[in-house]
Amino acid sequence: MMTTNTGRSLEDILEFAETLYHDAALSSVRDWKKTHPGRIAVGSMPVWAPRELIHAAGGLPVSVMGGGDDVEIIKGDAYFQSYICHIPRSTIEMGLNGSLDVLDGMIFPSICDVIRNLSGMWKLLFPEKPAWYLDMPQSFDEIGRSFFRGELLRIGKEMGELAGHEITAEALKESIAVFDRNRALLERLQEHRLNRPWMFPISEVWSVIKAGGFIPIEEHNDLIEEYIAAAEASGRPPIDNARVILVGSFCERPPLNLLRTLERSGCYVVDDDLSLGFRLIRGSVGAEGDPYQALADAFVERSREAAFLYREGEKGKELVARARAAHAEGVLFCAPSFCDPALLDQPMLVEAVEKAGLPWTAFKYAENTGQFQVIREQAGTFADSIKLWSVA
Amino acid sequence: MTKTVGIDVGSSTVKCVVMEGEGQEARILAKISERVRRRNPVSVIRECLQIVLDQAGLSRADVDYIATTGEGELVPDRTGHFYSMTAHSRGGLYLEPEARAVLDVGALHARAILMDDRAKVLSYRMTSQCASGSGQFVENISRYLGVALDEVGELSKSAEKPEKCSSICAVLAETDVINMVSRGIAIPDILKGIHLSMAGRLVKLLQSAKVDDTVLMTGGLSADAGLVAAVEEILKDEKRDYDVRTHPDSILAGAIGAALWGAFRHRVLKERGDALIGDRGGIEA
Repeated sequence: MMTTNTGRSLEDILEFAETLYHDAALSSVRDWKKTHPGRIAVGSMPVWAPRELIHAAGGLPVSVMGGGDDVEIIKGDAYFQSYICHIPRSTIEMGLNGSLDVLDGMIFPSICDVIRNLSGMWKLLFPEKPAWYLDMPQSFDEIGRSFFRGELLRIGKEMGELAGHEITAEALKESIAVFDRNRALLERLQEHRLNRPWMFPISEVWSVIKAGGFIPIEEHNDLIEEYIAAAEASGRPPIDNARVILVGSFCERPPLNLLRTLERSGCYVVDDDLSLGFRLIRGSVGAEGDPYQALADAFVERSREAAFLYREGEKGKELVARARAAHAEGVLFCAPSFCDPALLDQPMLVEAVEKAGLPWTAFKYAENTGQFQVIREQAGTFADSIKLWSVA
Repeated sequence: MTKTVGIDVGSSTVKCVVMEGEGQEARILAKISERVRRRNPVSVIRECLQIVLDQAGLSRADVDYIATTGEGELVPDRTGHFYSMTAHSRGGLYLEPEARAVLDVGALHARAILMDDRAKVLSYRMTSQCASGSGQFVENISRYLGVALDEVGELSKSAEKPEKCSSICAVLAETDVINMVSRGIAIPDILKGIHLSMAGRLVKLLQSAKVDDTVLMTGGLSADAGLVAAVEEILKDEKRDYDVRTHPDSILAGAIGAALWGAFRHRVLKERGDALIGDRGGIEA
């Protein structure tokens, strides 16, 4: 089993993270189950799921983010029309080819129609495995907090039944504390990245964040700390790149080479919404009082702006604020083809960005995109336009 | 005065210049164009860099900004990178101040770039994936014909009865050439036919980019006198009201443009008090 030992080199850390990134067969999860017999592994689709509940049930939360460019779609296309995004196809493919059979259950958060339909198909295709459809609150007040606590309680109860024991309040509080530490470490990583983006390339940062979807959270916390220390020690020199924010890739994952292409084109991606679920809740959830209520409150009160959350009149405000905080010089809208939430949000975000005087450009991708020349061209000329024509 | 290095890492050739100053007043202190052949491109880049620094009598610590274009990630100690269109337009304007468009014909593709009088790219058109308009194609043809690449241009210009190359596809054109050889067509006539075929595509590219003013040809094939002559011939035949020019340093346009933009960025960052420049000072190998 791959373990995160301390003292590894930056290369070793990245190799570990990238191996997990490309591991469509979930071998790290299989290894974990072998060494933890009788315990459950539960998958969750993007963007956010209460991983704390799985952890509190003694299980391993697993991110299911499609197959990327590692899975050939043979059967998955038969389930979705051509105008549907790519992630449900590869997810079905992985379900049918046995890659996901290691999972004891699946959580489908209500982020869009596609994920909702996927959850229905999943229940029909794999009736023996529990599948939870998690309704997200759209009222960001007492009603929303109360509703969401009920949703979390429902899933927590059934998760406990799957694990063979009830999730106690104490266990959930302990899990929340471990995940709070994860959130704090990711915020620390973000601070480092804002200050020295040349030491924290987006392709690396995201590999390290995403690794948390395939290993125990405690190991992920160690991995983040190790990566920060190793990247800081790398001594990479700064390059005269344009600082940009990447927006729209919160669900279907872009290929790592797409992100590398952006950086090679002259961009430092200083903030993004990749693997947003890991960073959706700002600050700590806290372990005081009723832990279910604490989770619900944190989600309702402190979740970041996201395409699947509808706060009246708020679209774009946080993006502009984050851009300002990151000293970003431009915004890259990088959404998957046919991603309704990202693409429907985009005009509102563009309006806010333009009002703030920030240059932007937009392009689309699919998780299995292999040609980046056009994106390279677009990002390269965008970076040049910032460096050469945005300065008075 | 600002000293900058511009490195254009192409798929077949590394071009490198050292420049002093900024804008149209800048001057070239040293230059080199070196084919990569089968060598490690990183080694070729290092060698080129050392040669131009020696020529200019500079050490790397004297250089304020190393600017790359093309496959710039192969230059680990670059200060900044510029996209090839941005670099070629700036280099094109430097070499030919009247130019308002650049026709960049490199090893893998050709691109027509429209620009304003500040070298700001306004629009562009690029050849599709077919390689028949590229330097690599000419190189392949010269190999079939047993002709050194340097001889291709002059041989083409000496053609008396250019043999029409009917295809616009590189693979089929190569088949055409093999047929021509077996039919005993003279090599200059084959080459001229190839050049006319390529020139036809390039002129169409210029038309699709809506070029209507002076064009400077850049990239590796700007040094191919036969191709330049063929482009001029087609423009004359089609009665186009703009001309396509070349410059002895046209092949270096990308590197020159990168160096000039590097000088600009150096000033901007310096005025801004950006640590990027101050900290780097002498850039080490």
